[in-house]
Amino acid sequence: MLKRLVQYRRRLVEFSATHPRFVVGLTLLLTVAFGLQFPKIRIDTDPKNMLPETSQVRRYNDQVEGWFGLHPDVIVVGIRNEGGIFNPESLRRIERITDEVLKLPGIVARDVISLPTVDDVTVDGDTLRAQPLLARVPERAEDIDALRKRITGNPLVVNRLVSADGKVSALYVPIEKGANGKAIADRIKKITAAEKGPEQFFFAGDPVARDTFGIEMFRQMAWFSPLAGMVMMVALYFMFRSATLVVANMGVAMISIIWAMGFFIGLGVPIHIMASMSPVFLMAISTDTVHIFNEFHFRYKDVREKREAILQTMEATATPITYSDLTTAAGFASLAVGPIVPVKIFGLLVAVGTLVILLMSFTLVPALMALMKEERIERVNLKKDPGGVVSRLLYDVGRFATGRRTAVVLAGALLIGVSAVGIAWIRVNNNMIHWFKAGSEVRKADRVLNESLGGTATLYLVADAKEEGGIADPKVLRSLEGLQKEIEKRYPVGKTVSVADYVKRVNRVLHDDDPAHETVPDSRETIGQYLLLFNMAAKPRDLNNVIDYPYRKANVVVQLQSWDAVDTKALLEQIRGDLRANPIPGVEIRPAGIAYFNMVWNDEVLWGMLSGFLASCVLVLFLLVLAYRSFWWGIASFLPLFFTIVLIYGVVGFVGKDLDMPISVLSTLSLGLAVDFAIHFASRFRQRYGETKDVQEALLWTVARPGKGILRNAVLFASGFAAMIFAALTPYVTVGIFMMAIMLLSAAATILLLPALVVLFPRLLTKGT
Amino acid sequence: MAKKRAVWLMTGFSLFLLLSGLFSRAFAETPGGAEEMMRRSALVQFYAGNDMKTKVTMRLRSKEGGERVRELLMARRNVKAGGDQKYFILFLQPADVRDMTFLVWKYPQRDSDRWLYLPAIKLVKRIAANDKRSSFVGSDFSYEDVSGRAVEEDNHALLREEKYAGKEVYVVKSVPKDEKSADFGYKVSWVDKGNFVLWKEEYYDKRGSLSRVFTADEVKPIQGFPTTVKRMMKNVQTGHWTEATFGEVKYDLGLADSLFSERSLKNPPKAFAR
Repeated sequence: MLKRLVQYRRRLVEFSATHPRFVVGLTLLLTVAFGLQFPKIRIDTDPKNMLPETSQVRRYNDQVEGWFGLHPDVIVVGIRNEGGIFNPESLRRIERITDEVLKLPGIVARDVISLPTVDDVTVDGDTLRAQPLLARVPERAEDIDALRKRITGNPLVVNRLVSADGKVSALYVPIEKGANGKAIADRIKKITAAEKGPEQFFFAGDPVARDTFGIEMFRQMAWFSPLAGMVMMVALYFMFRSATLVVANMGVAMISIIWAMGFFIGLGVPIHIMASMSPVFLMAISTDTVHIFNEFHFRYKDVREKREAILQTMEATATPITYSDLTTAAGFASLAVGPIVPVKIFGLLVAVGTLVILLMSFTLVPALMALMKEERIERVNLKKDPGGVVSRLLYDVGRFATGRRTAVVLAGALLIGVSAVGIAWIRVNNNMIHWFKAGSEVRKADRVLNESLGGTATLYLVADAKEEGGIADPKVLRSLEGLQKEIEKRYPVGKTVSVADYVKRVNRVLHDDDPAHETVPDSRETIGQYLLLFNMAAKPRDLNNVIDYPYRKANVVVQLQSWDAVDTKALLEQIRGDLRANPIPGVEIRPAGIAYFNMVWNDEVLWGMLSGFLASCVLVLFLLVLAYRSFWWGIASFLPLFFTIVLIYGVVGFVGKDLDMPISVLSTLSLGLAVDFAIHFASRFRQRYGETKDVQEALLWTVARPGKGILRNAVLFASGFAAMIFAALTPYVTVGIFMMAIMLLSAAATILLLPALVVLFPRLLTKGT
Repeated sequence: MAKKRAVWLMTGFSLFLLLSGLFSRAFAETPGGAEEMMRRSALVQFYAGNDMKTKVTMRLRSKEGGERVRELLMARRNVKAGGDQKYFILFLQPADVRDMTFLVWKYPQRDSDRWLYLPAIKLVKRIAANDKRSSFVGSDFSYEDVSGRAVEEDNHALLREEKYAGKEVYVVKSVPKDEKSADFGYKVSWVDKGNFVLWKEEYYDKRGSLSRVFTADEVKPIQGFPTTVKRMMKNVQTGHWTEATFGEVKYDLGLADSLFSERSLKNPPKAFAR
């Protein structure tokens, strides 16, 4: 069976070398066919969709939103005047902006919350007055002052709509399902830009960050992956001085991207931000071509006959290429076992792309080599031997690794040990706001609003009394009030609002605005009547946001000043502790809202990703053992991957960077690269050792010759992806740094650690080869 | 004296109905005609009889199926047909709001006066609120939906004539003259050509999308007045809806003006509460 496959492969290579024009033509034709699928692309920029709509947390959030008339996506517009917003000009601006915002398409006008749209109940002698907080802008100084006192003295409003110091006011603009938060924020920006005053405007909230990120992600991908490709092409040209080689190399990468993406787009699969990263991955995996050309370079010098050189090159590199591509494909495909759909698609997309690369290695690459003019190869190689210095250097490296084998292995072990400490410090956390750079507009808006108001992230604590009218019980309301007091002491809580606050407010207002009556009354009837009174005076929406129709469930709205998933998690732990110490009889409390969603997302997507990655690693190890039919060689060729990942995670831990979505995605990249290097090294060494039976000679040869391909590869990609360090989104910066780290670390591990191990354990690693 | 005037008014009104029925096609073509139609529809809808009393059962439903039921006795007395009115409301259900009373003096041209009595703290308060925006006892109906909106506040235009649920109807579009005077951008009404019952009304928000839909689900003649005994207001944007059933409807009971006073808030007349 295996022999037959090898037969087919040989025939494929021979055919391609004999009919290169046909192969190139056919490849181009197929590429055009796959490329034609691209206009059908469906892009999904919403990171929320990493969890399916049917997931428990999304379902429960939908339910909670239904019970309380809430909206999942709310844009927060902050208006800051250093001199305070309580002056006729600023107030009129707020009024005008609100009016204009209400007319925008895609927003939920009825639920826009701002000073002119929220009702306030005040008392004036025998009269209860229900009117918007800002019904009309007062002109006289004393009226302005009265308004400021009234608004900043209202606990339902302060730190939500207006900061305690009166410098910042906010508009909460819910948007319709499916509306684009960034597009709407941009339209609001146009409205605020028309106001020429001392006020500054800030735009925050989950939809702004999310949609800005989604759009930027695709845009930067469109910028930086071609840029990385260009840098690599230039580097490649300086290595080989051959345009054909450059074209072949990048061509294989492009073709694999177009085929794999075209295939999935053609199937109607939406391209999610995760899958949008796959071109980077496929570019990295297509490095096989460098190994082939590296070998071709040497072989041609030996045999001086193009066709023979091609066949010999393919014969020598076929096994490692097949092994490394198959293990890489299997590793990525195994991501599809997990529950998260975009991760599945991403895994399968990269796996399919990898198989395309494998196919190209045996068809397009030999065909292109066959099309190269002989005198040109000659000239390249004769004019100068560009690898001479590097080869000699690598020879020295090989001698060092084998000579100081114990020291090298111990140093490696020490690094792994130290990294283990760093790994213990790792914090698995996701914070979408931090996907933007510290100086970015999104980060700044979030910081300003979190400093002056209750917080831009929302958590809901849904209290279920299990029976109709259960919430209107004074005991329950007092418990909620107590819970709020506890929560408000905790980080990162900035503000809480519940139905208890409304009841207290009505109680105070009905008692001539006496602060001493800002309490929950003693009887259920009083509470019921207050709630009806409030509903009769103000918009029913206000109450509906905190209590459901049958008074069975209440919603405690908790504003958080941090988007960190770990902060939400710690807070919920503390709340659970509070509730264990002081349970509310008959009432069950469950979290919901965007902050909770992000926490669950963090747990499920990140841990799902990590566990998928670990499973892939185990699978790769298993495949390596199987491929070499040697347990120890399996382990050895797994080592560079292990070393690379452990070191990177160790550094992540030490530096204090969160292990977030981008890092967990990129971890999987090491599957494609580190294993690739190790397999090339191991296969070529075993071939050479089989021929010469001299361990030392075979090792030095491997370090110097295939090792050069590895090093070229590493330098090529490190330089290509260095460009990404200048990207505007931190995930791309991470891609840049990560790629360089993976390249250099796994190359170092392969060139230094493997020879040292082979000479240290010669019996385990030379037996059976 | 008052009775005699009322009889005259009724006679005049019926004659007017009859005549205008004959000429309806003629006046429908002029803008003033559409306004007249709406005025008469408002009379049928909100001013039937000199007074009336009914037991209202309201079912308030939220999107996720949460339900709140309210039961109340409501009395209305016209001070002037098409003009001022007084409403007195006594809550029966749910238990915690039982005996709450509510008094509304409605003026077509300005915000109504409202008083509320909270038995739990034995307190009467006057409430000053905006009729256009505030909800009627927390339901999807606004005060205007319950007691009418002054016809002069809108520009009316006949859109078409059609059949609605087997009835010949006028379809009239009404746009507020002053944008700020209403919570809606415009509304479309389906008015019965025969008896001027309002069968359906669609409210569009200021951006032109449908926000609420009123339907008369059951109309029957009571004491000669076509009475909408079951009505529904659906908020199509929030998915909330309120169904109001008018039971035990009686007209022209000769309700005393004293019922509609601050004094009866604390002590509603026994005869009324029964």
